[in-house]
Parts: sequence; C-alpha cells; structure tokens
Amino acid sequence: MAHPLPPGLTPAEVAFLAEMEMVTIVPRQRIESIDLLGGKTPTLRPPHRAQVPLWLALLLKKQNRANIVPPPWLHPASLQSIIQREKVEDPVAFSPPPPPPSRIKIGGTAERINDASDGVSPPFLPSCTADAPSGFLPYHWQEVAEALLAHAGDDMPASAGEVRGLLRDLAEIRAAKLRSSSSAFEGFGDAGVSLTGVGAMELADNRAFLLGVIDGVRTLGAGAEATRREQEEEERAERGDEFNDSDEEMGI
Amino acid sequence: MDIDDILREVDPTFHSIPQEQRDLQDLTRAYVAERCAPELLHYPPGNLIDRVHENIKRQIEMVEEMTGNMNPKTNFALIVIQNELERYRFILRSYLRERIRKIHKHTLHYLSTDELRSRLSEIEVRYATARQSRLHEHYMSSFLAEFPPQLQNLNDTAGNLNMIDSPDLDSAVFVRLLRDTLVESRGVDDDGLIEGKEGQIFILRWADAKPLVERSSAELI
Repeated sequence: MAHPLPPGLTPAEVAFLAEMEMVTIVPRQRIESIDLLGGKTPTLRPPHRAQVPLWLALLLKKQNRANIVPPPWLHPASLQSIIQREKVEDPVAFSPPPPPPSRIKIGGTAERINDASDGVSPPFLPSCTADAPSGFLPYHWQEVAEALLAHAGDDMPASAGEVRGLLRDLAEIRAAKLRSSSSAFEGFGDAGVSLTGVGAMELADNRAFLLGVIDGVRTLGAGAEATRREQEEEERAERGDEFNDSDEEMGI
Repeated sequence: MDIDDILREVDPTFHSIPQEQRDLQDLTRAYVAERCAPELLHYPPGNLIDRVHENIKRQIEMVEEMTGNMNPKTNFALIVIQNELERYRFILRSYLRERIRKIHKHTLHYLSTDELRSRLSEIEVRYATARQSRLHEHYMSSFLAEFPPQLQNLNDTAGNLNMIDSPDLDSAVFVRLLRDTLVESRGVDDDGLIEGKEGQIFILRWADAKPLVERSSAELI
C-alpha cells in the first residue's frame, strides 16, 4: 500500500505531469464543452483554435478530431538559437526559462495578465501553447517535444527527423552542463547551487546522482562544518553581542 | 453562454482561475512536494483532500449514469471523462501512498509530539497508532518479553541516544522560487544569502528550503 517507487519524482511521473501542459489545437469537428474534474474543456468549433491539456490533445489527434499547433520554441530556428545560446553565449549555465507569465506583456500593452496567476507554475503555465515565446525552453520541454513528435509528427513545422536531431544536440549539450555542475557541489556553500533553466526530465534522470553527491559531501564535511560554525559562534561572542542570542540552528 | 462567458474567452485579463482548476493545481503541487520532501508535510489547508474525494465520487456517479444512455455523441465525452478521472485519481492515490510510506518508515517519530501529530489527518493518526500498537504487540510476543523490563521500550531516549528514528532534515532538495525572495542556505564551507528571483531553481538543504515552501515562496520539484 505504501508508495512503491523511490522518493523523488521518477521519469515516468514527470512524463505524466508533462501531459498536463496546455497546448493549442485546431479542432476538425465540433465538440461540446465537457465537464471535467479539472474544469470544463472549451467548446471546440472549427476552425477556431483552443487550448487543451496535452493528454486531451493527443487523444483528439489520435482520433483525427484535431490538429496540434506546435509551440513556437519547437521550430527549428528557435531550437537553433537556443543551441547557439547554450553553446556560445553561456557555456556554463542553462539558457533561461521562459519569463514568468506575470511579466509577459500582451500585445505590447504593459499589463500584467492577472494577479490570480500568481504562484502558478509548470505544468499549468501556458508555456507550450501557440502563444508561448520562442527561444525559451519550458520546464517540460523534453517530454512535450517527444510526445508531439511521436504522435503528431505531421503537424510539426519541419520534418520530425530534423527537429529530433536538434533536440538531441540540445539534450547532449545540457547533459554535459549538468554533469559538470556537480563540481560546484564540492563546497555546496554559496547559497546552495542554482540550476535555473533545467528541465524536468533532466532533473528526474539525474536526481539520485545529484542529491547523492550533495548528501555525500555534506556527510563527509559534517565535522569541518561543525567546527566552522563553532568558530563563527565564538567570533560572534567575542565581538560582544552576547545579548543577541543566536537563534540559528547549529548544524551537527 | 452569456456575455460574461464571451468576455472571459476573448479577454485573458478578465478571468481568474476557477475553483476546479485551483484544486487540480493545489493537488498536483501537494503530490509533487510530498514525493520530493524528506519528511511528512502538513495536510493541505482548506479541506482540499475532502473536496477532491467528493468530486471524484460525483464524477464516478456521472460516468455510471452516462454509460446507461449510449449514443455516439456522448460516447467520446465519456472516454475523455474517464481518462481524466483516472489521471486525477492517480495523483490523489500517489499522494496518499507516499504519505503512508513516510508514516511507515518513522511511525513513532510522527506520533511523538503534538506538532508532528498535527501533520497527519485523522485517519492517518488512527492508522499509525493501530499499526504501532500491533507492531509492539508482535515484538512483545516474539522476543521483547524475554528482555529485562528496562530494555523493553521502543522509544528509549536514555544516554543521549534517541531510539526513535527520524528523517534527515538536512538532505538536499530541488526548489523553484514562486516569487522574488531572499534565499538563505547553509553549506559545508560557507553559508550563503542571495536574492532569488521568481522562476529560479536551487538545490538547498530541506531545513533551509522548508520555511520558503511553507510561506509558498517556493515549491519542491
């Protein structure tokens, strides 16, 4: 009865979550709104575009009831520019994630979308719809791209082979970055380690390795860390702020 | 469809997130967080889990009704509804099972103080207590009874050694910031303090990430 999978999201679970990403479809037949647990689906009226979750889009596609509009970041030109950025402009960090929706400006007006979107995060951000910005990889880029290529290859902007090739290049460049980032864990000091821009599947694949290294370093350095904290405490006491009782928890 | 619906569809600034969608988002976040956190988290506020249970029950009843009148038009809707129902139940089930795993692992720990106990739902408390007492009975009858009485406890804290196993609160986790906030982190060689921006992802010790997560300034991923 207890959960059978190891703690931390597994790749299969991440793929499941990615299917909740919203994508844009062009319906081929009229379908009335359906009352689902997660809210009503939009009424589908060809040829009007609509936003539906990926799992529903794939189902509609499979039954030939709709075509999927690929997200702009999946176009070869966009992928090329991301590869360029990952390779040349910043060979260390990942390319930045899409800007948060609260900061996207619609149609040139400087309006926030709405405050209710505050605190919404992938997979519920509209980062895979036709309106998503190009040149940014969303959090679930690998899973969404793979699902679209596998099940909606004929809707893709270029041949599936070409897009796949670019995606593979991208995945390899980023995998190398993730591996080399483990050298930054040695100190595991300077405000944790930032992995901004990393993808969900990349994290899931490397979760055990990354967290294992960090916890290992922490265990090995536990003695040194305790000594350092003691020293800092002494220094603080010497400076005479004994009134200012430290409420910081001492790591042991 | 009335005028509000039309407005809502054409104007993205008009709509706020409806309750059902909120619930799905909250449930998903609770599930991901529970899967990633090294210790048991608080039950989500606002009766979320009860409401989800209720909704699932209602949806199942609707499916049963719909299977009665088979016509090709509702047939497709039925497939979609069942599909979504299974997805929804999967999230809820994974969430609850992950909690059971944690309760199994550190039963005595979560029953030891009122603060920890308050994280469990009523059913979970009942389950944990019953399980622990059965386990104790079983140990008693199989070997503990042979020991001297002072060695029979399962929760001895004598000699500065605590018998109750507890989760490692310093294990590392991945977090994503949901708003701009100050991130404090402790490290082996150095401690850090940086101004985090919305959307950034960090590896932190759970003890450092916990206050951020509880303030909803960050989420586990």
